[in-house]
Amino acid sequence: MLVIKNLKASVDGKDILKGLNISIKPGELHAIMGPNGSGKSTLANVLSGKVGYKISGELKYEGKNLQEIPIDERAQKGIFLAFQYPTEIPGVNTSNFLRTSLNKVRKAQGKQELDALSFIRIIKEKSNELGMDEKMLSRQLNVGFSGGEKKKNEILQMKILEPNLIILDETDSGLDIDALKIVAEGVNSSRTDKKSFLVITHYQRLLNFINPDFVHILSDGKIVKSGSMKLAEDLEKTGYKGIK
Amino acid sequence: MKNENINHNQEYKYGFTTDIENIKAPKGLSEKTIKFISKIKKEPKWMLDWRLKAFNRLKVSKEPDWQKPKFPKINYQDLYYYSAPKSMKDKPKSLDEVDPKLIETYNKLGIPLNEQKKLSGVAVDAVFDSVSVATTFKGELTKKGIIFCPISEAIQKHPDLVKKYLGSVIPISDHYFATLNSAVFTDGSFVYIPPNTRCPMELSTYFRINASETGQFERTLIIADKGSYVSYLEGCTAPMRDENQLHAANVELIALDDAEIKYSTVQNWYPGDKDGVGGIYNFVTKRGACRGKNSKISWTQVETGSAITWKYPSCILQGDNSVGEFYSIAITNNHQKADTGTKMIHLGKNTKSKIISKGISAGKADNTYRGLVDIGRKALNSRNYTQCDSLLMGNKCGAHTVPYIKNKNSSSTIEHEATTSKINEEQLFYCNQRGLNQEEAVSLIVNGFCKDVLQQLPMEFAVEAQKLVGISLEGSVG
Amino acid sequence: MLNFKINSNEIDNIGNFNAKEKEFRLKNLDSFNKNGFPNKKSEDWKFSDLREIVSKNFKKLDLKLVKTKVQKINFIKEFDHNYIIVTNGELTSSNFKFEEKNKIKVQSYSNNSFTNKQEENPLINLNHALSDKGYFLEIKENYKFKKVLVIYNLYTSNLNENILNCKNKIKIGKNSELHILEYAINHSKKNFFNNIYENVILEESAIYKNISIYNEKSFGYFHKYSSNKLDKKSSSTFFIFPSGLKFNKLDLEFDLNGENSECNLQAASYLNYDDHQEIKTRINHFAPNCKSFQKVKNVLNSESKGVYQGKIFVKDNAQKTDAYQLSKAILLNDSSEFNSKPELEIYADDVKCSHGSSSGNIEEDSIFYLMSRGLSRQESIKLLINGFLSEITDEIKSNSIKNFIVNKLEDQLHEHKKH
Ligand SMILES: Nc1ncnc2c1ncn2[C@@H]1O[C@H](COP(=O)(O)OP(=O)(O)O)[C@@H](O)[C@H]1O
Ligand SMILES: [Mg+2]
Repeated sequence: MLVIKNLKASVDGKDILKGLNISIKPGELHAIMGPNGSGKSTLANVLSGKVGYKISGELKYEGKNLQEIPIDERAQKGIFLAFQYPTEIPGVNTSNFLRTSLNKVRKAQGKQELDALSFIRIIKEKSNELGMDEKMLSRQLNVGFSGGEKKKNEILQMKILEPNLIILDETDSGLDIDALKIVAEGVNSSRTDKKSFLVITHYQRLLNFINPDFVHILSDGKIVKSGSMKLAEDLEKTGYKGIK
Repeated sequence: MKNENINHNQEYKYGFTTDIENIKAPKGLSEKTIKFISKIKKEPKWMLDWRLKAFNRLKVSKEPDWQKPKFPKINYQDLYYYSAPKSMKDKPKSLDEVDPKLIETYNKLGIPLNEQKKLSGVAVDAVFDSVSVATTFKGELTKKGIIFCPISEAIQKHPDLVKKYLGSVIPISDHYFATLNSAVFTDGSFVYIPPNTRCPMELSTYFRINASETGQFERTLIIADKGSYVSYLEGCTAPMRDENQLHAANVELIALDDAEIKYSTVQNWYPGDKDGVGGIYNFVTKRGACRGKNSKISWTQVETGSAITWKYPSCILQGDNSVGEFYSIAITNNHQKADTGTKMIHLGKNTKSKIISKGISAGKADNTYRGLVDIGRKALNSRNYTQCDSLLMGNKCGAHTVPYIKNKNSSSTIEHEATTSKINEEQLFYCNQRGLNQEEAVSLIVNGFCKDVLQQLPMEFAVEAQKLVGISLEGSVG
Repeated sequence: MLNFKINSNEIDNIGNFNAKEKEFRLKNLDSFNKNGFPNKKSEDWKFSDLREIVSKNFKKLDLKLVKTKVQKINFIKEFDHNYIIVTNGELTSSNFKFEEKNKIKVQSYSNNSFTNKQEENPLINLNHALSDKGYFLEIKENYKFKKVLVIYNLYTSNLNENILNCKNKIKIGKNSELHILEYAINHSKKNFFNNIYENVILEESAIYKNISIYNEKSFGYFHKYSSNKLDKKSSSTFFIFPSGLKFNKLDLEFDLNGENSECNLQAASYLNYDDHQEIKTRINHFAPNCKSFQKVKNVLNSESKGVYQGKIFVKDNAQKTDAYQLSKAILLNDSSEFNSKPELEIYADDVKCSHGSSSGNIEEDSIFYLMSRGLSRQESIKLLINGFLSEITDEIKSNSIKNFIVNKLEDQLHEHKKH
């Protein structure tokens, strides 16, 4: 599904990713852990096509070269990024936005656009699953949302858009234990043998709930170690210093 | 600066006069006066011609009248344009030859000029009325190729540099007071930092107006060549006199590629008495050109003195990626009036500017922030951030904010915020409850209010400035 | 350059006036002739050089009255309303079918206050000298309007380099309440100049709400000065959505004369082509415990130019003033321009006054977020502009009026996409 080879990325002459390799097959869930500033969010941004990075190396998604595809088309092709810090967008109504987004993605995928009623049914159902207050959906997008609410809103969008490659950037950070379980449940219930996950996290806590197939450690712009869930457990004991 | 014990009963501790014999130019503004100044300074002809050109221009220009503080008409014929201690007529070769009375004056001001007592890490050029009396640490600076001398000396010794840069940032035709200065300027400092040199110490000029009925028109020119850095401090005081004295300085800064100039001022001219009698008219033109790419000019000012202050230290951001900064505290009490701010003119791409202004008004004073941010059509990807906060103490004073903001391209952003409020009662109560008296509490809170600016000052000035903030507001809270 | 000096016999052409009025008009005409149209040397016109704009675009300015037959207009169907129709500045019909008639007075306006105040604005002089049309609307005490009053401002197709000088006055009695929607309908095709002087008086506890929308493209050059005087506990709320004029300067002054009075002003504009629009406000806090709130939003496309000059003045006795002012602009094009001068002049210490102003492009992070959810760049920008402006429309309480305005604004954005 996703093949990254020798990926390098820099911003304003500052090298952040320095030759990163990773390959994800359909149905797999990969976790990436790594100290602050190691380039995790940069990787997530590069995958979803954020501009401003100088990139070299190979980036293939479903066999296609990602670098030639703009952000919105990547989203329409099923790449979803749950942001570490979801952007606040004043004046834009959350549920209107969700509907616009969903219909864009559906249309691109040759599905029928949803009318207002069926859309409302869907988001009601999904937001209930996530234990979200429906009132939030009539508010401005992410504006004044608490940290946890923003993260849940990201998961809600993930569930609604039904993407194929899901990147979660520290979606578990700052969540209380109940919210964490809800997020994990959201991930687990979305897992199929077609969907792939790239879960960026600092904590074994989340991984315990979602059972990653692989755990990678990113340090200074490179994957320095890959392994199974055991690696995450070791990390919890020894910290990043102990690994290497 | 060294700190003497601050005597709380003393309103203006620099108000003494030095009894010293002076040489003065003939009273009044005329070609004769200008020739007199030029002659006594042994200036070359090109310099005199430059002055006369300015004088001709002056005849057809008018005093500006748009600024908020209005002032009584100045009779320019009733002023002396040059005054120097007689003992300075033939410039002393060393400090030993300097009149002890002068050295004593600077000692009292906390600026020892003596070799043994020199402030460490600060080279001082002391300007007394119209002449520079001494410059310290000259030798050490010369070794690095740094030129730090009175501008009158630079005109003789470094004419090429002076010719090239003098008037290149503030043209002689700029506005009335700048033109006046160009015609009659007497002394001031000249600084040149050679390429890739970091000036090893703070450079400082200390201005003192002593003689009565005398205007002070100093001129400062600082050039930071490619890749160099300099931090420059300026301090000023004047005796207490019941007449108004005019101070119309011009300061020009030029930063070439990758150079940085930091210019700090603590302005404590005599503000006049409680009833608004006397005090300095401080009409100063300060402007810096970030001429090279990646250059930076940063102005920091603490304005507590003068009857009327009227100045806008500005940055012309010509070079791509250049940066301009303006940090200001303006405190007005009693009948003082201040109209101050900055202009940030963005011409190059990726230029950035930042303005932090704190105005404090007490008594019957009036305090205006006036500023311009202009991002030109070609200054793509530029940014400005401005924050202007005003504090009012009592309802007989005024605080005003007059920003002009122009954005002419879509890739640049300008953000401006301003607030006006009074001193927070709860904070006062908290401080009182912890044993501080009203004045201590006010001083503490106001210093906190000004923190963002104070922390920009070099250490040597910061302590002095903090005390000044407290003293300037004495008697302003009942 | 257009030399626009007006002969004093133009005053006689307007009508027969008593000595006092004649003198008032002559005096003002004199002032205007002395100064001409203001240019950028004048502080208030720093960002809008009207002299240049007028000389560039007008060959003449015709003072003659434009007479037109009664025109058919498309009334708003979305909600019930009273209406008056103002054709080229002249009151041509009125209908207050939802109200008690004896509580309302409406008539063509004739000025009867001839102050000696020396006006600094030449356009006010011009209006004082030559105004010959307008309306006077008075609401008696203790009457609350049941339905909104729509003022249809109609500009007819035979306008051609005319200058209209209109004077309007609205007076709302004690404890009364009036909601107005000012709605412009443009049939004009040529240049014309509209110079309006408006006087609004709110007596004790009166409530005034005004929503005005002008967003049809035209060749109108507008200047409007509005003086609003608020007695104690009165409140006035303005939502203005101006755009589409070649030149438009709204000069709005509010005197908060009585304690606990308040004013709220919100504006949203989408400017396009070479539109030039200035909103200038002056809020005078003359009494304690008053509140003022201003929020002005501009989106600038093409070569349009937007200006906001806002001044908050607080007199020394106006303690406990709460004044806020915010101006935000988005520039979509490198040929567009936004200038602002948010000013505070404050003489009382126990106050809470602040202003903020920002201008710049749409944040790339926001575009990235929306695009990562499948929207194209163009759609993302449009959504963000809509969101930016809807912060103002969202504040309108009446749903039917809100929808009416939102639709009008959206039409305009669609219009823009075609270009
Ligand atoms: N736009 C940028 N400009 C400059 N440096 C950046 C930029 N974005 C990220 N960085 C730097 O790159 C490094 C990696 O950032 P990031 O990917 O956010 O790390 P992580 O998510 O692993 O904490 C950090 O040192 C960060 O400061
Ligand atoms: Mg991160």
